[in-house]
Amino acid sequence: MRLQLADYLIILVYFIFVIGVGFLIKKKIKSSNDFLTSNRSIPLWITSLAFISANLGAQEVIGMVASGAKYGIMTVHFYWVGAIFAMVFLGVFMMPFYYGSRARSVPEYLSLRFDEKTRGLNAISFAVMTVFSSGISLYALAKLMETILHWNFDISIWISAGIVMVYTFLGGLTSAVYNEVLQFFLIVLGLSPLVIISLHDAGGWSNIKALLQPEMTHAWKYMGNANDNPMGLHFMSLIFGLGFVMSFGYWCTDFLVVQRAMIARNMGDAQRTPIIAAIPKMLMPLIVVLPGLIAITLMQPALQSKGYTIPATANGELDYTMTLPSLIAHYYPTGILGVGITALIASFMSGMAGNVTAFNSVFTFDIYQSYFVKNKSDRHYLLVGKGITVIGILISIATAYIAKSFNNINDFLQLVFGFVNGPLFATFLLGMFWKRTTGHGAFWGLVAGTLAAAVTHGVTVAEGKGGWIAELYTIKSGMGQAFIVAAISWIVNFFTTIAVSLVTKPKPDEELKGLVYSLTEKPKYHQQKWYLRIIPLGLLLLAVTILLNIIFF
Amino acid sequence: MLKKLNDLQFVIGLFFTMISLILLLSVLLGNNSASELNTYTGGGFLIFGLAMMFIKGRKQ
Repeated sequence: MRLQLADYLIILVYFIFVIGVGFLIKKKIKSSNDFLTSNRSIPLWITSLAFISANLGAQEVIGMVASGAKYGIMTVHFYWVGAIFAMVFLGVFMMPFYYGSRARSVPEYLSLRFDEKTRGLNAISFAVMTVFSSGISLYALAKLMETILHWNFDISIWISAGIVMVYTFLGGLTSAVYNEVLQFFLIVLGLSPLVIISLHDAGGWSNIKALLQPEMTHAWKYMGNANDNPMGLHFMSLIFGLGFVMSFGYWCTDFLVVQRAMIARNMGDAQRTPIIAAIPKMLMPLIVVLPGLIAITLMQPALQSKGYTIPATANGELDYTMTLPSLIAHYYPTGILGVGITALIASFMSGMAGNVTAFNSVFTFDIYQSYFVKNKSDRHYLLVGKGITVIGILISIATAYIAKSFNNINDFLQLVFGFVNGPLFATFLLGMFWKRTTGHGAFWGLVAGTLAAAVTHGVTVAEGKGGWIAELYTIKSGMGQAFIVAAISWIVNFFTTIAVSLVTKPKPDEELKGLVYSLTEKPKYHQQKWYLRIIPLGLLLLAVTILLNIIFF
Repeated sequence: MLKKLNDLQFVIGLFFTMISLILLLSVLLGNNSASELNTYTGGGFLIFGLAMMFIKGRKQ
């Protein structure tokens, strides 16, 4: 793939705009709250698009296209089972606590609801996870640019990290959020022409269905038996593992996404943010799953004349991660090729900036201010926030180089993230809906859940991974293993939290007002127009989601 | 004009308008045979960009 002047111009314009946004926001940054929490001043349409865009990083765009080619339409479960329900739940039930408690972060909510040790555990694990995720995102970007454009690995890393650093350092969270919205439009509009022309080339959806195996084009029909579908999953493990534990654990507790709703102007907008974001999220498979299905269809004997193939690895297996870049190279001429490449760069930057801005908020408020330097001036925390932004990006760069030297570190980090994230939703669910839950219960539940995740991974094997304690149980796919690990860690956390809470002293009701469902005044929606009311909007989305699952059953 | 740059909707519109101009100029000045896709995409981006720049919703 060779870029021409027009392509480079488009990339240059994009870089100028993202840095320009940083400079425009800079003059509005007066306090640590402006820099780290946007002072709760962002309009609904921006918070909603930023909410979805923070999750529209490299993993989403490249990974889901790859998954679409490998597993077929079952990949839509990550959206229609693994996202929409949790996003609606967050908007309807959980945002009132996050927003109403006036916590500046998810760990700070844990401190208000439980105690400092639970906050510390969550803050430290989150900070480590986000900064390493950012580094892995950076590594993946540089690797991709090296592979498809033959750009120098080091230059790609330093330029991309440098640009993210400039705009996050200048404008903090607001700048990152504004750029996420720009990146959202770029990714969606930049990849839409690819979907249209490649779908046309593949003969439309009816031809895809005719040429592929039926299990590649049915989302549920072959899930009654794990051996009948490409993911190797039974529908029950999908619904509990992905649809409940992993999905709710991510969308409802991960500060990276929840932060985008917490910066809305008022409670109503904060609640509506994940619900409005669920609309584009529902349609996202058109951009990120369908191209994978199209790619695998184009490789069928009947369409060999189209001349498209997914590149192979050194072992001769299909390199699914190259599906999207290879489609771009195949279909995009000079000009729009620059748009496609810029969309890929935008997806990486979006993921990295999201991680860095969540990291600097948690580090400054929940680690530095809580445990190291209390009661300093606001200017002090503003400077610390800015300094931490730079340090976070430097750690990301170091992680990217470590990932380059040790390929397995990516798998290892993803695994550890899974151990930490899996049980988390049980802590929030009990904390928000059962006032008897105590700080000790929450803390030991989290510890036990994380250990249970590690042990489950240690006694199960899937695709050669796991089984480092004893190979007691074999699972067909790595994805199935991840769901089972998450499900067990959640169950262990849930029951440990209940058991420890029952033998320890809870906080008095007075201290739990605004933090627990039964002790909090419910928001009133009846004065709003029906389409602005949270519950009808949420129910409508759930109905459409169920309908989509039925249509592609 | 400078004041408008504080408005994200305007900035996004301006970005897509500029990208569309690059795409359309590359069609006009270039000789590549696959320019149809650039023309349609450039046209689409131009409409989207101008709409974002000049169509404003009601202020809440």
